Amino acid sequence: MTTRTWDRRVTPPRDPAVWRWRLAVAMALVLVWEILGRSAGTLLLPSASATAVALARLLVSAALWRALASSHAALVLGFAAAAVLGAPLGLVLGRRPAAGRALAVQLDALMVTPMSAIIPLVILAAGLSLWTRAFVVFAFAAPVIVVTVEAGARDVDTRLVEMARAFGASPRQIARRIILPAARPALLTALRLGLGRAFSGMVVSELVLMAAGIGGLILRFQADFDAASVYAVVVIVVAEAVALMKTAARLERRLAPWQPPGAVT
Amino acid sequence: MITFHDCHFAYRAHPTDAGVLVLDGIDLQVRDYEIVSVLGPSGCGKTTLLRMIAGLVRPDRGEVTIDGRAVTGPGRDCGFVFQDHALLPWADVLSNVAFGLELRGVGRVEREDRARALVQTVGLAGFERAYPRQLSGGMQQRVGLARALALEPSTLLMDEPFGSLDAQTRRSLQDDLVRLHAAAPKTIVFVTHSVDEAVRLGDRVVLLGRRPSRVEASFDVPLRRPRPEGLDSVPAFVEMKRDLWARLRSQAEAAS
Repeated sequence: MTTRTWDRRVTPPRDPAVWRWRLAVAMALVLVWEILGRSAGTLLLPSASATAVALARLLVSAALWRALASSHAALVLGFAAAAVLGAPLGLVLGRRPAAGRALAVQLDALMVTPMSAIIPLVILAAGLSLWTRAFVVFAFAAPVIVVTVEAGARDVDTRLVEMARAFGASPRQIARRIILPAARPALLTALRLGLGRAFSGMVVSELVLMAAGIGGLILRFQADFDAASVYAVVVIVVAEAVALMKTAARLERRLAPWQPPGAVT
Repeated sequence: MITFHDCHFAYRAHPTDAGVLVLDGIDLQVRDYEIVSVLGPSGCGKTTLLRMIAGLVRPDRGEVTIDGRAVTGPGRDCGFVFQDHALLPWADVLSNVAFGLELRGVGRVEREDRARALVQTVGLAGFERAYPRQLSGGMQQRVGLARALALEPSTLLMDEPFGSLDAQTRRSLQDDLVRLHAAAPKTIVFVTHSVDEAVRLGDRVVLLGRRPSRVEASFDVPLRRPRPEGLDSVPAFVEMKRDLWARLRSQAEAAS
């Protein structure tokens, strides 16, 4: 028998006009930056071209790559811990309403507290090490992961659960066959949002907590009044963050194509 | 044979609520291989009847028995077809149809073979790898029907399965159901709010009263199977529909 193949993905048609607009906006911004930088003529606002030169110099320097490696060690450790602990916790809270309500206040508090405020406490408690930075990353990323997964697990279509029961599914089978796949879009969204927060946590911890990694690099250039290099590092950080977010969003669409993108955020 | 013995049921939002009495002493028998249509005003507990047979809810008082044995939990011998299809959006047609088999631990090759045959039976050959959102409402409900049939249940419980479909699609699914029933008879309890559908499909039409409801009346449909083409102009069919309409109208008037 012939079986038609179906494309699982819903890829929106690529519109060249969008890319023309993006390019135009980017060029306009760079132009304004260049003009401002040149007319200001101060140490504090380097021109776009000066930043580009600094960026090129940075990209071939060993210092940049050492800093990136050091920062990402903390990022990977902290984010992995946040995902491994946060996602299961979110699932449990979402499916056990009593537990969810019991922890709601603490989670809300964690969500709204500026994490930078707790950094001094962390230093006092843990000293200055890779583990401390990893903990800060964790503290930035975990709450949003827990809360997003919780919402996803809670909002699983009860009609599907009922259907599974009618077909004789055990509670275990319902968890595996209904809850987990139904919560998958929320899980992926949670990881994407968590990654964004983890990234902030990484940079903030290095700027506020200890001069290490990328943050340390920024502080060092700042002390040297090398504004162009500071800007260049920021450009690198922003570019990486955007690339990560885009990749995560694309992965989300690929792994959970039945959910219109942006339905759970 | 499915039997309701004086079943009472109150709907409760929380286990501690006093609840709203929905079923107030249901007595009903469904014979083997019979198609029973259940009609009644909305909110009268038609769906609850099906859920009781399926073992998804238990009566507060009274009991439901199947072949003399009390239903105590989700049964294994009932196929359920849902009003809103309730398909798994992340699974393709074949996996949806095979869902019940998968729960029972039937191996992949065997369950996909059986699912493929059923997909063909309900007229969806070629759509095995399609996802629910790529199908029309009628096609989705065909998947729902195939999924219920996959477990080879002796009883089909159908909860307003064609309610959301347009008239033409609805008619074609009704015809298919009648054909399937003729080819492989099953006991079917069919909840509907359409008088036409109730008479067209049923051997018997059971009318429930307003909430808290009891069985108000039960009518045998005076038409032998296979039913003639052009049912719409058969006097017995037309008369029965008219009588049922009159009954429903007086129910509504009594309430207001």
